[in-house]
Amino acid sequence: MRTTLTLLLAIGLAIAESIQARPVSYPGGWTVMAMNDGSVNTLHVHYSPTARYSLGYKFEYWRDRDFSLNAVQYNHLVQRWNKPESQANVYLKSGLGIATGLAGTQDGETNAAAFVGIAMDWEDRRFFVSYENRYTEAGKIDAFFQQSARLGWAPYEGDYGDLHTWLMVQVEHMPEGEHNITVTPLIRLFKDVHLLEAGLNNRGELLFNYVFRY
Amino acid sequence: MNKPLITLLFAILLSATVYGSHPSGTVYVDVNGLVCDFCARALEKVFGRQDEVDAINVDLDNKVITIHFEEGQSLDEATISELVADSGYDVRAIRYGS
Repeated sequence: MRTTLTLLLAIGLAIAESIQARPVSYPGGWTVMAMNDGSVNTLHVHYSPTARYSLGYKFEYWRDRDFSLNAVQYNHLVQRWNKPESQANVYLKSGLGIATGLAGTQDGETNAAAFVGIAMDWEDRRFFVSYENRYTEAGKIDAFFQQSARLGWAPYEGDYGDLHTWLMVQVEHMPEGEHNITVTPLIRLFKDVHLLEAGLNNRGELLFNYVFRY
Repeated sequence: MNKPLITLLFAILLSATVYGSHPSGTVYVDVNGLVCDFCARALEKVFGRQDEVDAINVDLDNKVITIHFEEGQSLDEATISELVADSGYDVRAIRYGS
């Protein structure tokens, strides 16, 4: 069952969240986001009633940590700086839900879970920088802190409607994890309302992200 | 003066009034923060919901969006600024063209 679930997620039938994709859209906008990497598969579907916040459903499957999470997630745009040649954002993300243990003594156990974190990014048409952190508390099942950062560079400046390409490096830090530092070079491609990312981390694990906005 | 002629004159006057208060045609909007194609799709979605708007073009190089209106239609500057803000950007300037 778990293998099947992982496979489905990995091929993109589930949708994951990308740390750099906007967690808040435009009024009336829906976004489906997927993240699949060496540690976790996630699905995040959110709706933005206004340009300042979004509300959505979040599913996470932490393979090594042996638990899953179903949560309602609230994202808030704290601040945006629109400049003539760049944009920067600060978001607050939080969620409340149920964690379910998937192995060992926690197998089948459930616990209330919550998470909170901050995300920020800056970009112009050539360079991209982002940082995000999160603390997750799931009582007897798990509790951990994570943070990640990205640097990106666009080899060309595509026009509106072109295929856009970014080369990025993502560094993740999970102090309590088995591998507390993970480095992932990746490529990001986007065109129209589709965004795709693929990469391979320093342990040879695949990263595959997909975002669709409508 | 017969009735059809009076009606025609009223129609012309009314038309001139509408055009005077809402310049139509094409509007160019200089926008701050317009750096990402994927995010700029919001502009298409937000403006696309407006009955007055026929189409928009986004110029990432010059950070300008061009709004093409339906014939005889337009939007005032306050509404354009609000729609741009809803899309996640700030208006720097609005220029009306033909």
